[in-house]
Amino acid sequence: MYKSTGFISFFLRRFTGLVLVLYLGVHMWVIGAATKGAETFNARLEVFESPVLKILEILLLAAVLYHGFDGIRLIIVHYFDVTDYRKSLFYAAFATSALLTIVGGIPLLLYALEMLS
Amino acid sequence: MRIFIIQRISAIALVVFLSLHMIVVHYPPGHLDFSRVLERLADPLWKAIDIAFLAAVLFHALAGTYAVLTDIERVTPLKRILAGILVVLGIIGVAYGTFTILSFQPPASLSAVH
Repeated sequence: MYKSTGFISFFLRRFTGLVLVLYLGVHMWVIGAATKGAETFNARLEVFESPVLKILEILLLAAVLYHGFDGIRLIIVHYFDVTDYRKSLFYAAFATSALLTIVGGIPLLLYALEMLS
Repeated sequence: MRIFIIQRISAIALVVFLSLHMIVVHYPPGHLDFSRVLERLADPLWKAIDIAFLAAVLFHALAGTYAVLTDIERVTPLKRILAGILVVLGIIGVAYGTFTILSFQPPASLSAVH
């Protein structure tokens, strides 16, 4: 059971989901600085200008892409008669999110490296 | 309507909203600051889109949290209390987020010109 794609999908979906809920709280708090004016808002955004946080943003991107594509896969499996392709669709969702994480992560990685140099 | 159906509807809405959010807010080159957000939110349609996005993401996040937590045996008997807490958090979140979105207003000195 623990090695089936169904279990891995179930576990990763819930794990990334909880991570995203916690991030949503942080994100809303950061943007909430706007209620205190432009200076406070810009100062709070500056906190994220660090190489470590840019790397964490790549992990965040991976989590949100995986959660999204696995969710789309789940909806496809549920509403269309494609149960036989469930496993292939899981690999497709995984590969697509991995690929898009690389594509979307490159600018973040370059930015992080630029800050270090 | 059963909660899981709304969870799926909000999921599909989030695919659209979040893709748009990343493309429009986070990926354009250059530095993101107050004035850039202000420029986009000057259009009331963007404010409306962001408030709808906020409502969808909060619903999805809190309903997801409910589903994950009530699967834990010890939490199951407390599910009504948990639901109550999450509803309150959702209302506070929508109010706070909407207030945040609406606070992207040009400084009084600028708006006085118009």
